[in-house]
Amino acid sequence: MTTLTRQDLNFGQVVADILCEFLEVAIHLILYVREVYPSGIFQKKKKYNVPVQMSCHPELNQYIQDTLHCVKPLIEKNDAEKVVVVIMDKEHHPVERFVFEISQPPLLSISSDTLLSHVEQLLRAFILKISVCDAVLNNNPPGCSFTVLVHTRDAATRNMEKVQVIKDFPWIVADEQEVHMQEPRLIPLKTMTSDIVKMQLYVEERAQKT
Amino acid sequence: PARRDPSSAGDKKVILLPCKNPPSRERVSLWLEARKQYECLQKWR
Repeated sequence: MTTLTRQDLNFGQVVADILCEFLEVAIHLILYVREVYPSGIFQKKKKYNVPVQMSCHPELNQYIQDTLHCVKPLIEKNDAEKVVVVIMDKEHHPVERFVFEISQPPLLSISSDTLLSHVEQLLRAFILKISVCDAVLNNNPPGCSFTVLVHTRDAATRNMEKVQVIKDFPWIVADEQEVHMQEPRLIPLKTMTSDIVKMQLYVEERAQKT
Repeated sequence: PARRDPSSAGDKKVILLPCKNPPSRERVSLWLEARKQYECLQKWR
C-alpha cells in the first residue's frame, strides 16, 4: 500500500482521463436511453465489458468530445463539483437532469495492481444503471434536446480558458431558465467510493413533463 | 489540492454550459436518412 499525493505521477490527469472516458460513454448512453436522438444513429459497442449504445453521428460525437475536453482540466484540478447532463423540452426548460457529483480525496492510498480493475467494475455498475433507468423515469415530451452543465468555482474557470480557445468551443454562465426546475423528483441511481474518486449519480425529473 | 471553501472572496460557485448547441434531432434525422439512402445505393451497385 502506497500513499501518494495528487501531484505524484500526475494523478489528477489520470483521474480526469478515467472520468472523462466514462462520462463520454455515459452521455451517449443517456441520449440513447432517453431517446433524445433517433435510435438508428447508435451502434452497440463494448465498454467496461458490457454492451453500450454509442452514437455514430460525427457532429454529435465531436460535440460530446469538445465538451469533455473543456471539462477535463477542471476535473484534473478537482474543480468540477458536478457534471450534469440536462434534457430540455422544446422551450429549452429542463425536464431531466442526470447529475454526476464528483469528489476526489486530497491523499490517495492505492494498491496499484487492483486499482484500475476495481474502478472499472464500479464504473460498469453506473453504466448498467443508466441503461435501465428508463424503467423508473416518465417519458419525455417529443422534440427534446440536451446540454451539459458543469458546477465549478469562479476562480477555476481560468483552467478552461486555453482549451476553449484551442477547440473554438466557448462556455458561458448558465441562465436561471437553464438551471431551474420546479419541484423535481429525485431518483438516486448509483454511488461509488474508490481510492481515487467518489461519485454519485442521481436523476432530477420534472414533475410535469408535458 | 483539496477543494477550497467556495465562500472565500472571489471564489463563488458558478454553473457553466457550452455556448454552442449540439446538433438538433431534425438535423441528425436528415443525416440518418441520407446515410440509409447512400447504403441502399451502394448495395445496388
